[in-house]
Amino acid sequence: MRILRAFAWLRWRMLINSFEKTAARDTVERFSLAIETLGPIIAAVLMVPSGVLLAAGSVAAGYALARGDQHALFFEAARYLLWAVPVFSIIGPVLMPAADRTNPVRLLLLPISRRTLYVAQAFAAVSDIWVLVMLPLVLFVPIGLIAGGAFAAALLALIAGALLVAVVIGISSLATSLLHLAVRDRRRGELLALLFIVIIPAASMLPGLIQGGRHRARVEGRTEAREPMPIPSWLATTGGWAVTLFPTELYVASTRAAARPDVTAAGKGIAALAATGLCLHAFGMFVFARVLASPGSTGARRAVSTRAAWGRTLPGLSPGASAVALAQVRLALRTPRGRAILLSPVVMIAIFAVVMRQQIGSMDFGPLAFNSGLSLAMFGSFVSLLSILPIAMNQFAVDKAGLTLALLSPLTDGEYLAGKAVGNGLIAAVPALLCVLVSFVLSPDGSPALWVAIPPALLATYFLVAPAAAVFSALFPRAVDLNSIGRGSNAHGLAGLLGFVAFVASGAPSVLIMLVVSKWLERPSLVPALLLVWCAIAYTIGRILFVPARKIFAKRRENLAMIR
Amino acid sequence: MHADLAVQTIGLTRDFGSFRAVDGIDLAVPAGSFYGFLGPNGAGKSTTIKCLTGLLRPTAGSMAILGTDPLIDPVSVKRRIGVVPEDLALFDRLTAQETLSFVAQVHGIDAATARQRSSDLLEVMELKTAGTTLVTDFSHGMRKKLSLAAALLPAPKLLFLDEPFEGIDAVASRQIKDLLLSFVTRGGTIFLTSHILEIVERLSTHIGVIANGRMVAQGRIEELQAGGGGGKSLEELFIGLVGGEGKSYAGLDWI
Repeated sequence: MRILRAFAWLRWRMLINSFEKTAARDTVERFSLAIETLGPIIAAVLMVPSGVLLAAGSVAAGYALARGDQHALFFEAARYLLWAVPVFSIIGPVLMPAADRTNPVRLLLLPISRRTLYVAQAFAAVSDIWVLVMLPLVLFVPIGLIAGGAFAAALLALIAGALLVAVVIGISSLATSLLHLAVRDRRRGELLALLFIVIIPAASMLPGLIQGGRHRARVEGRTEAREPMPIPSWLATTGGWAVTLFPTELYVASTRAAARPDVTAAGKGIAALAATGLCLHAFGMFVFARVLASPGSTGARRAVSTRAAWGRTLPGLSPGASAVALAQVRLALRTPRGRAILLSPVVMIAIFAVVMRQQIGSMDFGPLAFNSGLSLAMFGSFVSLLSILPIAMNQFAVDKAGLTLALLSPLTDGEYLAGKAVGNGLIAAVPALLCVLVSFVLSPDGSPALWVAIPPALLATYFLVAPAAAVFSALFPRAVDLNSIGRGSNAHGLAGLLGFVAFVASGAPSVLIMLVVSKWLERPSLVPALLLVWCAIAYTIGRILFVPARKIFAKRRENLAMIR
Repeated sequence: MHADLAVQTIGLTRDFGSFRAVDGIDLAVPAGSFYGFLGPNGAGKSTTIKCLTGLLRPTAGSMAILGTDPLIDPVSVKRRIGVVPEDLALFDRLTAQETLSFVAQVHGIDAATARQRSSDLLEVMELKTAGTTLVTDFSHGMRKKLSLAAALLPAPKLLFLDEPFEGIDAVASRQIKDLLLSFVTRGGTIFLTSHILEIVERLSTHIGVIANGRMVAQGRIEELQAGGGGGKSLEELFIGLVGGEGKSYAGLDWI
């Protein structure tokens, strides 16, 4: 208990210290840090009414169960909410920045047995948000049962709830330990990160798209709407079993059985939950022991195949600016978040293309209908530009110690900003070009003039976004780790938001020119020429905007140099 | 400003809010000297180096680096200096060769010279086999050697080294010492901070001692050692200057 208390205090202190006033150097930095802290505070404040609502709903559910309503609305809602908890327990450790999770190996130096260390580590999961969401449900359903007069059922529901919490904690600590083992090998860790950033979200869109398309086809009465393939019986049986044995379903079944009252059925559910928890914690302890026993990092040093760019400069740039641009591109190519930026739009377009090729129907996103290669190319290339925001809106701090090297180098501010702008542009250009090419190969329909108009539209947008990105990156830098997934590699919240607004505002004129001239005036052949003119104007505006951007950067150099 | 001085500051001051990290120091680093800049933890050494190399702007005072005010013409100063800072200033996701190529390009060194110098430096630093390895995979010692190689590549006139021997093995340390001494012999100036007083004593021609942001002593090392009766080791001199003598450990009998 003494050690568990110490660990609870440690977690609490770390949380409180994260809100403490930090050594901000000026008003802008204080504002930037305050905005960063605001998110978690708002989330914490919102949790209180959410917890009260959940508790009230749970009491109502328990009361309805005690009164014989086995399918009470609140209980059904709680059931579906609980479904998400084990899933988040698995995904959560992967999505959370590595720094947020205490590295168990350094705790080995303390005079604590491994078993106690495991228990302490597992208990830390209680403060995870998904576990906190679950607590009002499992605590207040028994109170509702008591209110309805079902005292024995309340006791059984409480036991089932406690076991469910233990199971979820077991899942969470097992996932954490497995993640620790996986990321010991940096390359394996990076692959895992990439998988989570790109493949899983993209693949998860596919069923929805296909289903949506089929539904639309059926509504429109098209003959190509095929009936879904029948599910094999063995798969249906196994699936049914898996659902029944899912921990939250075991809890729901045993609580319902306890309320009927069917003590035997409830006991079976509770026994199954206890067995699941036992297995999870036994396996969790085994994996945890492996984590403690294995070295801090494994895997060979990585040699890269690309050659140093001795004396090679990008056209139109000074050698210094060129070196900065190439370093930025290499950063994107060699970090999971950077690779995700390059890959995400392409994977997304590939999925849209598959759906389009099956002629499932058009996919409407606001004013754009994805039933042609041209609209797909436009959508993909603008998404490519949008996807660089995490790097572009934090373009200085992403270099970490490399930023100090750049600041110590004999580069003028103009050269440095130009290098960064070109580097970010190149990062966006690769997937954008691929999206246009893939779309053209798949479906080269539409006016050739509109296809030709895509590059100047993109360039014009980027010319206006680039100085804004430099300003927001200088004002709101954030120390990030591009190896991590989610928040750990995101730009500062405000920079991201303002960057998105800047992107929309910068892209709007190009889109308007395309829509107005091709749809309303029905003169698509005019679009490329008009967009080229707009591109030249945007370039001039961009150059002008870089003047204040350079001044702001010069003023923020010192703060940037201190970013850790 | 004095023409024979590689680094000169007058009343250099740097505040962080209400905290004064560097308090009006007057540095005088002769050209061609090996200057050891000493001070206890938190004395203001790294802040001074950051001011001198342009990472921080002084709150007050003036300075000249190789005769130029870095606040007026920072690019010209940076062309002539090399820096190994506290955080080593390396891009994690570049290889050793790419790092040196980056430095060469920003200094405008032609490709052939850059390639030759990089090869020589990687050889000396025993990083030749790790030339195509990402910096993120480097050990601390390897990073330190690469950072030094990056600082030396443009053939600077003045080197600022912040704790260059920390975390370096004995063999590499010896090689680096020899390299630095030959740099000074050929007319270069080194401004070095280190907590390893034996190294400073062996290498330095001049020292400056800072405590609580203030300069407490500066000059030729022999002259400072000879002062106050003479025959003092650098350690005795340093502890005497920063006031670490005569601490009682009576309350720590339990250790």
